[in-house]
This record gives sequence, structure tokens and C-alpha cells, in this order.
Amino acid sequence: MSDLLANLALGFGTVLQVVPVEVPGLGPVPLPMNVVLCFVGCLVGTLIGVLPGVGPVATIAMLLPITFKFDPTGALIMLAGIYYGAQYGGSTTAILVNIPGEATSVVTTLDGHQMARQGRAGVALGIAAIGSFVAGCVATVMIAALGAPLTRLALVFGPAEYFSLMVMGLVFAVVLARGSILKAVAMILLGILLSTVGADLETGQERMTFGMPFLSDGIDFAVLAMGLFGIAEILRNLDHTEARDVVRQAIGRLLPGRDDLRQSGLPILRGTAIGAVLGILPGNGAVLGPFASYTLEKRLARDPARFGRGAIEGVAGPESANNAGAQTSFIPLLTLGIPPNAVMALMVGAMTIHGIVPGPQVMTKNPGLFWGMIASMWVGNVMLLIINLPLIGLWVRLLKVPYRLMFPAILLLCCVGIYSINALATDILFIGLFGAVGYALIRLDFEPAPLLLGFVLGRLMEENLRRALLLSRGEMSTFIERPISAGLLLVAGVLLAVALLPSIRRGRDEVFVEE
Amino acid sequence: MPAGSDHHGGGPIRGPRSLVGGLLLVGLAALALILTADLNPGTLRSMGPGMVPRALAIGLGLCGLLLAGSGLVRRGQALDRVSLRGPVVILLAVAAFALTIRPFPLGGLATPGLGLIGAGPLTVVIGGFASPEARLRENLALGLGLTAFAMLLFGDLLNLPIPMFPEAWADLFPAGWSQDGRLRVTAGLLAGVAAALVLAGPRRAAARVDVAGRSEGAR
Repeated sequence: MSDLLANLALGFGTVLQVVPVEVPGLGPVPLPMNVVLCFVGCLVGTLIGVLPGVGPVATIAMLLPITFKFDPTGALIMLAGIYYGAQYGGSTTAILVNIPGEATSVVTTLDGHQMARQGRAGVALGIAAIGSFVAGCVATVMIAALGAPLTRLALVFGPAEYFSLMVMGLVFAVVLARGSILKAVAMILLGILLSTVGADLETGQERMTFGMPFLSDGIDFAVLAMGLFGIAEILRNLDHTEARDVVRQAIGRLLPGRDDLRQSGLPILRGTAIGAVLGILPGNGAVLGPFASYTLEKRLARDPARFGRGAIEGVAGPESANNAGAQTSFIPLLTLGIPPNAVMALMVGAMTIHGIVPGPQVMTKNPGLFWGMIASMWVGNVMLLIINLPLIGLWVRLLKVPYRLMFPAILLLCCVGIYSINALATDILFIGLFGAVGYALIRLDFEPAPLLLGFVLGRLMEENLRRALLLSRGEMSTFIERPISAGLLLVAGVLLAVALLPSIRRGRDEVFVEE
Repeated sequence: MPAGSDHHGGGPIRGPRSLVGGLLLVGLAALALILTADLNPGTLRSMGPGMVPRALAIGLGLCGLLLAGSGLVRRGQALDRVSLRGPVVILLAVAAFALTIRPFPLGGLATPGLGLIGAGPLTVVIGGFASPEARLRENLALGLGLTAFAMLLFGDLLNLPIPMFPEAWADLFPAGWSQDGRLRVTAGLLAGVAAALVLAGPRRAAARVDVAGRSEGAR
């Protein structure tokens, strides 16, 4: 317990640190630089995340370059801020326009938008912010508490355990993906296959590079992410004729009344618990949180018919679950060095650019960064509350910008952003290529998210597989002879088998097609 | 993507979308197998560079075959008709940016390096036409304005190494000006032109986006 407090104190110390900053015309001014970065990150993240059709992955990929100038701690704090901002921005869009910015805010559209239509948009946004804040507080403490023991666990892991853990993560991703399981498996295999492009890690031999020198380092993750989630998303949105349902009713007051609070208190707590637990799963369990919370609230409600017609519990629970999951999904990354979803994979990219190798050693080698980032999550949640509520008017106006003006702006930001990472014109051409491929895949009902996750874990998996087999002298049985590895594979196997059972499959479809 | 949406009842193809998706996967797997054909797979005990990619390609190919097979057996969704306008125009715009931001060698020739001041508006103006509602004047104003913003953000504020001007312009500015000063003045000019274009344009009717009020909840 005292460890926990000491660690949190170190973290908050790092975040609140005051450093003299040279301000033109004023000379050095003492500023809490990390708080400022967190604020700017949240603000810019919300600004981009509010745009319909731009989810957190695209937002972070686009804004990655603006963090290059700062020291690693500052840069990661800012990126985390961008992430929360984008996440919350997605909820704003869901409530005000009925367009979910990403999978996790799909549920928010159901009751949130109905509330907005009844003139209670302000209350919906307010309760989303309050729920997120509560969830954020709980999740921060949870990360701080789990960080140290999980890191110790990670140090016991050998290559076989790492490989099995990643297999389990990918099985989770398959089970959690929407639509056909076969298609999700194919996307994961394709993702891993793409990750093997480039020089082989042992022999240095070029693999599938077409002899092109810029491919010998492999495909850049940011390029793939921006193509699949930035450009392909634009193409998909262009197919829909514009029918944006921006609420015309007054936003109404922002602070929920006493009745609202009483109704949403328990849903917020339940949502937080569900979201926080699911978020830890490797393989993007965070996606499931809002759905699970919504289903639970609907089951528990005395009058389930209210759901879908502006029930405040249907906003409070899922939004809390959403934010709790967003935050606890940092745990696998920070402790094990395994990114559980695409956003965390971008964090890996950012860490690598700053010369930090994610994994259990970050906590011991770089405690200031580790705990500072965790503390900044709480600060980020406060910022969201401060930024979002007064600025709702601005977001509404932004949402009314027609898409024909919005997408060229997104396009230009993607081009400039990706060019400023490596200064390679080929990177720009490749976001176009991956965008077209991603669009074709979307039109054929393949989901790009599992592909990206496979790509992220691919290299780590191959490395650990080869190392494990080298240690076991080529015996595949090493994966089931080692108890932890066997346990992880067993969980994966059972999960996959269960997902393939017809009755469960129907239930799974129901969760995702909740109307 | 070929459009063909009339495979509902009879005929051998019952789920065209699955079939095309499956064939696409098989194609990708075949490509990967060809590309990795001359890599040494090694043994399980010491894997060579070819082992993992080839195993993955085989797995992918099997998924593709299963999917394509299900497209023949099980009734599934038809292919939608896809307009090529969006993808083609967006790809053109992206390529325009990539080729003009800095000289790009193409065969024996090189494309002109226009810097952000040229590549930015070019991308926005071309890209804008991916939407059938595009208007040239509006796109031009948008392009100039966004370029001014990007110059200030990425060049002035963040100092990222992006070429801002064509190389031939190096002598155009008075010698004493700093890089940031040049950027600020240029951005100001661009924004000014953009504003003039907007102001000089014909007034459009006010109600453009609001399409609420179609369903029951609206009052």
C-alpha cells in the first residue's frame, strides 16, 4: 500500500513538475510543462476526434508528429491526452450527430442521441463526462496497483510464455471482432504476414521487399494505420450520401439534476468495473466493455423499454466502461510490453521513436516516465471535464461543417503528418495504397482492426516463437509443457471453441447488433 | 472491383461477396508464396527467414479457399456497386502530394519540388473532387487556408523538417528575414487570399447541413 502511494506521489511529482520555459518577450517563465502538454493533447485530440469518421487511431497517427519536439515523458503524456481527447470527442459526436466515431461509442448513440433529441444533449454529455471521470479515477488507481505485480510476473515470462500470451490475445481479437470468425482469422494472418516484410531479424535477408530499399526496414506501423484508418475511412464515408443528423434542439443545461445522478450512480460504478476488467485483456477487450455494460443495465432496469428512448443509464454505464477500458488497456503495454490494440501499438511506435523499448524494464529503468504517465491519466480526465463542458458550443459548430470541406482537411493532415515522421515520399504513396486496400477490404466485409493488431504483434510473435523453439531444440511440445504457457493456450482454445458454438455465436451477434 | 449484384437465387455463385473476398485472400497468399520461394525455411530447431512467412501464407490461402468455397455453397451477400470516383481521386491527390513536396525521381526525370506551399493546395483541390458536391473556388480557398495553417503549425511552431517553398524561391525573400518570418508572412498572404476568395464568392443559402427533423423525435 505504501509502495502504491509512493509510486503515485512520484508520478504526480513528475506531472506537476514546474520547469522554466522560454517565452518570447517574457524570458523564462516557470510552467508546469507536463500539465500544459496534457492540456494541449486533450484539446487537440478532442478537436480532431470530434470530426465524424475520425476515430482515435487516425487522430493519434495524424498528431504523432506534434509530440516529436518534447522529451519522452512529455511526449507520451501528450499522446495519452490526445487519446483520451479523441475518445471523448467520439462520444460527443455519437450523442450530437448519431455517428459513432469508433466501435466503443456505438452504444452511446442509442440512448445518447435520443436524449439529445429530447433537448437533453447537455445532460447526456455531462453524465458522459462525469462517468468517464469516475471511471478514470478508479482505473488510474487500478493501474498503479497492478503495475508492479504484473511487471514482476512479466520478468518470469520466457519466450514460450510470451508467444502463448500473444496467441491468446489474437484469439480474443478474433472472438471480439464483428462478423465472420473466418474473416477475422484471415485478417490476423494477413496482418502478421505484412509484419514479416523487410529484413529477417536473424539473417538480415530481405523478405518480400520487391527489391525496394525503403521496404527493407519493414512497413512502418504509422503508415499502415493511417492508410487503413485515415484514408480508407474517408473513402468509406464518401460512399454514404451526407445525412448528418446534428441535433437542432437546444443543448440544454449541462449539469445533471439530482434524479439523473441518482439514476446513473450505480450504472457508472458497474460500467467502470466491467470496462476496467475487460480493458486489461490482451486483444482489445476494451471494445466489449460498453456493449457488456449496456446489456447489463438493460437487464437490470425495472423498465427495459426505456432503453433506446433516452435512458440516462444507457449513456452513463457504457461511457464509464469505455473510459475505464481505454485506460486499463495501458496495463499490458506498460507491464508486458504487448500492445493490446491499435492505439497502444501507436504508443509503442511513439516510445520507440523516443528510444524507449516498451516492456517490464520501463518501470524499473524509467520510473519517472512510467508513473508520470499513469498520473497524467488522472490529470487528463480532469482536463476533459474542464475542456469539454464549456466548449460544447464549439464542437456543435464544428459538427455542422459539411463533409465535403472536412475530408480534404483530413487528407492534407494525413499527408503532412506522415511525411513529417520519416520525410519519405514513399510513405505518402503507401498511405494511399493501404487506404485503397483497406477500402476494398471494408467493402468485402473484412474488418481492418484485427489486421492491424496482427501486424503489431507479428514481429514480437515471430521473434519469441523462434527463440522458444531454439531453446527447446525444435520441440513444439515446449508450449504445452511449460505450465503458464499451457494455461494461456488452453484459455485461447476454449475461447475459440466456445465462440464457434452456434448458440453462443447467435448471442455474440446480438451483442453487436444491439438495436 | 467488378459490380454485379444480381446473384440472388440460382446460378452456381450464391455468395458473391464471400467468393471475391476468398479469391482476394488466395491471390495475396499466392503472391507471398512466390515472393518467399527462394528464402530458406530452415528447420523447426533453427528457423530460417522463409519459415514463418510461408506458414502464414499457407494459412491465409486456406482461409481464402474456405471463404471462397462458402461463397459457392452458402447464400450470401451480393457485391455492392461501387463508385470509383472516390478512390481514384483520393489516390491522385495523395500521389500529387507525394510527388510535389520534394523532387521525386521518376525514371530519368524528376518531378518539380513545390514544397508545402504548392503541394498543400494541390492536394486539397484535387482531393476535394472526390465528392460530387465539390466546387473549385471553395476548394481553392480551403486549400490555401489549410496550407497556411499547416505552415504555421508544422513549420513555425514545431520546426518539423518539411520543405515549405520551391527550391527556386530561396532568393525571393529579403536576405535578412528569418525562416520563421518568411513562413509567417507567406502564411498570412495565403490566408488573405483564401479569405478574399470566400468573401468574393456567391452567398450560398443558409440551410446546408441541418437535416434533422426527419424522424419522430424532432419538433
